[in-house]
Amino acid sequence: MQLRIDLHSTCFEPLEVLERWQTELKGLGIAESAAESLFVGRVRDTAADGTLLEALELEHYPGMTEQQLEQLAVNCCNRHGVSSCLVQHRIGRVIPGEAIVLVAIGANRRGPAQRCCQELLEALKHHAPFWKREWRTDGSSEWLSGNTPL
Amino acid sequence: MAGLSAGKIRILLFAGLREQAGWAEQQWPAAPQPDSVLTPRQLWLKLHLPGALDQQVRVAINQQFADADTPLQPGDELAFLPPISGG
Repeated sequence: MQLRIDLHSTCFEPLEVLERWQTELKGLGIAESAAESLFVGRVRDTAADGTLLEALELEHYPGMTEQQLEQLAVNCCNRHGVSSCLVQHRIGRVIPGEAIVLVAIGANRRGPAQRCCQELLEALKHHAPFWKREWRTDGSSEWLSGNTPL
Repeated sequence: MAGLSAGKIRILLFAGLREQAGWAEQQWPAAPQPDSVLTPRQLWLKLHLPGALDQQVRVAINQQFADADTPLQPGDELAFLPPISGG
């Protein structure tokens, strides 16, 4: 199983990163997956209370975040028997419209690809040590105490 | 993060919990006697940290999730983690 996990402190373009990942796999002589499932999460322009959002601040626990992401990805990918996994996650200040997370799974069937992608996304939302703080356009801010509903 | 003194436990706070407590990191002496035990739950109470351990705040020891009643060892890195919101 091919695995790649990166944290980005500046804006990343999900489709460009995905293309580079696929080129890298091809360079290793790995055939293109018959099924690929992709999730891109972007920052909304409204805060949880409905007011306009200026930016999201993403804090993390250096070291534990990388370890947790790898453990979650390896466990999930092994359980579903998929062949490749790419996880990209932002840290720092992220503005509305920018990508915050990319999960891309390659497998030989759509079922494992889609199930693994969704399961890994939910796992990292709840078990990788990231924290979001909303900065509103009026200058106020608040740490979020959970995730948005599915 | 500063280096860890011998026989100490490094305690880390993050995000909203750090701001409520007013500090990010401190060191605490490990259990003074070989047969005595110091746990994250005991430290949570000694440090008068805000919020509810278990229900809201999780514990990590040496960067792995752990039970709040796990005995701590000298040199351990203990983190109290407020509700996670990634992705």
